[in-house]
Amino acid sequence: MKADRREEMKTEEIMNQNGGAIGFACAYTPLPLIHAAGFAPCRILPNVDCPDQAGRLLHDNLCPHVKRILDRAMSGMIPDLKGMVFMNSCDSMRRLHDAWKTVMPDMNAVLIDLPAVSIGASLGFFRDELDRLSQTLEQWGGKAIDDAALAGSIGLYDRIASLFTALREKAGRSDLEGGWTTLQKAYNRASVSPPEESIAFLETLFLREGADIRRGEPGVPVYLFGNMLPEPEAFSLFESCGAQIVADDLCTGSRLFAAVETTGNHKLLGLAAGILQRPACARTFREESPGRLGDDVAAGAIRAGARGVIGYTAKFCDPYIARLPGVREVLKRKGIPFLLLEGDCTLRSVGQQKTRIEAFIEMMR
Amino acid sequence: MMKAYFTDLEAGIVKAINDGNSSHRKLYTLELARLGKRLYSGTDPIAWCGITAPFDLLNAMGVTSCFVEFIGAMLAATGVVGTFIEETDHAGYSSDACSYHRSVCGAAMKGIMPVPEFLIGTTCPCSGGLAVLENLARRFDRKLFVLHVPQEDSAGSVRFLADQMREMAAFVSRITGRKMDGGALRKSVEYSNRASATMREIFELACRVPSPITSRDFSNFGIVMALFFGREEAVTIAESYRNEFKKRIDAGDNGTSGRKFRLLWIQNRIQFRHGLEKMLEEEYGASIISDELNDITWDPIDPENPFDGFARRAISIPINGTTEKRIGHLKKLARQYRIDGAINPCNWGCRQGAGARGLIENGLKEIGLPVLNLDVDCVDSRKFTEGQLRTRLEAFMEMLDNREPLWQS
Repeated sequence: MKADRREEMKTEEIMNQNGGAIGFACAYTPLPLIHAAGFAPCRILPNVDCPDQAGRLLHDNLCPHVKRILDRAMSGMIPDLKGMVFMNSCDSMRRLHDAWKTVMPDMNAVLIDLPAVSIGASLGFFRDELDRLSQTLEQWGGKAIDDAALAGSIGLYDRIASLFTALREKAGRSDLEGGWTTLQKAYNRASVSPPEESIAFLETLFLREGADIRRGEPGVPVYLFGNMLPEPEAFSLFESCGAQIVADDLCTGSRLFAAVETTGNHKLLGLAAGILQRPACARTFREESPGRLGDDVAAGAIRAGARGVIGYTAKFCDPYIARLPGVREVLKRKGIPFLLLEGDCTLRSVGQQKTRIEAFIEMMR
Repeated sequence: MMKAYFTDLEAGIVKAINDGNSSHRKLYTLELARLGKRLYSGTDPIAWCGITAPFDLLNAMGVTSCFVEFIGAMLAATGVVGTFIEETDHAGYSSDACSYHRSVCGAAMKGIMPVPEFLIGTTCPCSGGLAVLENLARRFDRKLFVLHVPQEDSAGSVRFLADQMREMAAFVSRITGRKMDGGALRKSVEYSNRASATMREIFELACRVPSPITSRDFSNFGIVMALFFGREEAVTIAESYRNEFKKRIDAGDNGTSGRKFRLLWIQNRIQFRHGLEKMLEEEYGASIISDELNDITWDPIDPENPFDGFARRAISIPINGTTEKRIGHLKKLARQYRIDGAINPCNWGCRQGAGARGLIENGLKEIGLPVLNLDVDCVDSRKFTEGQLRTRLEAFMEMLDNREPLWQS
């Protein structure tokens, strides 16, 4: 077992000794709500070596993220969870919920609906869904959630978000020891840890400020977007190919820990709005500006000062598959070089494309 | 190209009917041709939609509307789909995506999709379909309205979807300048209710032993009929089907002589010409008498307050919600139709449909129903390996032949 994974398992054990953990799979999961109910949210990440068994229940052409999570459940390689929260973010996530109930029939599981657009009635509907989740968590042994507790939990996660923002800036300046690899390890650790522990851990990373400022030829600044890339070594690989990642927009990266800006007194409605309106994955869009993903990626790259964009998506991800040609078109129009990588959430699938990454970076030098 | 195709198709069928060669299937195809002709007329206001849009509401508002997958199916049926799919390959679309959607995108890129007045996306049945509508909205620079079809069948879900549909009607009015006519909407709902009631009768007739239907009778029937809801044609087609089946039953004609096996087809049929259904009927006496999407899963809609009914209908369809619900529906069909075996084509690229194949297989095993999982691209005929599929089907039929009948006679 890898050292990182051992660390994660240790964290999971800590959670189990406390209020108990609730598993989740999607970056849209309302982590503050789970925490306010007295549980520790624990992401079931796909980067665990276990036998490939999910194909018995799910088609081969289903998202490898989803299948690897199911592989973990089928292999008994998940922590002792009080329940699992699934978000209806895409077809594959729905199928994961269905298969999970078959594989783990004795475990609590709930599927929370997630609107595809974030306007008008959708907000009220999502608030009602979050209310359903809070009631469900109470049935699973959690505390009744009041506005004060929820505000406290949102505050903790906003603190995590701001720490990650600062860490990304450090990493973007090459001021973070271990660079984006360290950052990804931190993302992974925070996604399986109680927020209080994550804050304490993230703050220690700042104590090492200036300890390992990189010298020598600077890498080519690259903006990274896509969905599931939890392997820290993948970022080492990018950097070894000459890339300097300056910003990311990934489900396993910045998107999970984006600040939730709640306004008004109704915290649940605020949380619903905050989740729907933060940087979106391809599955959430704005009716008034369809096909905006390409514009958002280009804007993110320009804002971060990137010279090129690398997209990494899990294979068979329909929300991205359908929108990537549009992203390519926008980036081409704006003269921003673009490299698209597809994989199965493992380091292996990125490593196989090393030559392409090197050539892409070389082209931009 | 498409306009000429639909015009020729209509003319050919009209001639056949005038020559005294009418049939239920011809009437159905005639209305398909007429729908296609309206879509490509260049004069009718049209809307591209998701599969679960309320077509009766749109028809009542004078908008010719259609789900985009219809175009994919038509391109497959006419044998030209490869060109359009290749177009998407060149534009960077992954070959892992659904071919219905790739062919539609290719058609839009090659300029053979008429520019709509607006688009209605639906979150059901799939993420891919909604993404295509988003892409088309950008390509055509037209307004998009999204209907979020909730997964759960609850009062809150119905209220949420019904409110969205009311908003949708206001959105359509703003774009077309046509106000909702209460009388037209009532009439539209009445047509839908009459068509649905007759379709229930048709499906009951199909359950008979022996069943009066052949594999071809119900191909695409349920899903396409939704496009005619709200129009008199829906009633005409449904009645013609019912009359045909009654006639066959009265005549003691159960389609193919000596037929033994009653099959259930899961999700969509293969859209291009192929010989598998004929082979099943002629060599094994097996007919597809039920399709997963050929069912009426909703109650009649209140013409005075149709929005709740429209919402309940969209939420009720078997491919919305959990796989557990879907399996429950398949089991119901298996019992009603006394099905011997089920075939799941597992359309390549369909995460919604094929994704759950193992769960469906296990679920149907609980009632002893064997399932044959195939790997077919139901639209892209270039990937069709008829020989391999034939071998799989032959083995499946031989297995059924060696089993004790599942249902007592």
